[in-house]
Amino acid sequence: MCELRKRGLVTAVIYSGPFEKLGRNQARTFGVPELPLVEITHPLGGLALQDVRQRADEAAPQFAELVRKYAS
Amino acid sequence: MSDLSQLMKTPGAGLEADDDFERINALYMEKGWGDGLPIVPPTAVRVEKMLAYCDRPLDVPLGLVAPRYGEATPLRVASNAVMAGCKPEYFPLVMLALDALVDERFNLYGVNATTHPCTTLIIVNGPVAKELRMNAGHNAFGPGNQANATIGRAVRLAMLNIGGAVPAAGDMATYGTPAKYTFCAAENEAASPWEPLQVELGYARDVSTVSVFGAESMHNMNDHESITGAGLLKMMAGVVAATGANNLYFDGAPAFVFGPEHAATIAKDGYSKADVKKYLFEHGRVPLGALSDENIERRIRQWPVFNGDFAESGLDRLVPVMKSQDNAYVFVIGGAGKHSAYVPTFGATHPVTLPLKTHDGKLAKSVEEFRRK
Repeated sequence: MCELRKRGLVTAVIYSGPFEKLGRNQARTFGVPELPLVEITHPLGGLALQDVRQRADEAAPQFAELVRKYAS
Repeated sequence: MSDLSQLMKTPGAGLEADDDFERINALYMEKGWGDGLPIVPPTAVRVEKMLAYCDRPLDVPLGLVAPRYGEATPLRVASNAVMAGCKPEYFPLVMLALDALVDERFNLYGVNATTHPCTTLIIVNGPVAKELRMNAGHNAFGPGNQANATIGRAVRLAMLNIGGAVPAAGDMATYGTPAKYTFCAAENEAASPWEPLQVELGYARDVSTVSVFGAESMHNMNDHESITGAGLLKMMAGVVAATGANNLYFDGAPAFVFGPEHAATIAKDGYSKADVKKYLFEHGRVPLGALSDENIERRIRQWPVFNGDFAESGLDRLVPVMKSQDNAYVFVIGGAGKHSAYVPTFGATHPVTLPLKTHDGKLAKSVEEFRRK
């Protein structure tokens, strides 16, 4: 993901709450500390399909906003 | 050979502090530089003594330690070995274990960062285990032996301090395992009826090796009643055939630690190591119906490891825990008693075995060959 970001693509890592620190550390490790992180409600594992869709609904507008931001 | 005193002048290579046990431990605890237990202060003098058993350039990393991908230079590793309480002569094995852990096949990032409670099991084979007086017998995985305890601890400290496998920041284990403090032993080759691990893997018996596994804690297999190999293997297959272990869902190999008495009974009845693995592969299986409907659908029917093989299967079909009969590691450790152990793994990891070699690539018969000239 960091490699793609370095090449100029709009990228983001989707995470659920407890994994924020890991995500930020990894972004820093791979040289893109400002890599956008998109938060969804924890957990993602062990969910029924409608709850997975709900997580996607949380992530989609955040990602759309990112695309708009980088496009402008 | 790089000069230690020069390296110590590198910014960030060290810090000024009195060599005071309490104060340095308080500082390390405050900074989070450790495993929560007191450490031996890694003074320049102690680190230099540790590096007396290092024939590699002191500032050239052996690799990058995940998840932070910190550079594991001998200098940094030596600091952690001092902190762990290693004798300098243990250092070549600490380095070799880390060499194995940074091998891509092992997937150290996954093992360290996962929510799964796996850790790094280290098994030592060959003459160096005896030279370092490692415990391969009674309570080999328990307390009491300096080499077993501190080699494993040094590797864990390196993963914490160099690799950033820090709880809730780089190590996301839901609850972890006490085996993360140290999990290291030697194979009891003298008590094994089979070829030791390194020989099975193609090395000569006088070659010393380190093998690493992305392992869970051990699950004991008690059997005081079976007096045949078939009886013992039946019991063991029953242990393997359990729901919930990652090995069911992935193709990574589990490990089997045979107590010498169980191993003798099984071998007496004509079972080779290959026969044991074949038996456990064929009988260590979980009926599809033992899993929940959701697990069947998501983890078995649609799961890539099974390639659709169970897409239409009935609930009585058996799912193999090991994905091939060679997909298991067998070794003998322990003293008297009718116990053996099953060691499930993270699953998305493969064991790595490396021979002990000096920097010029020659097989080392003794840790003394690593002494700096």
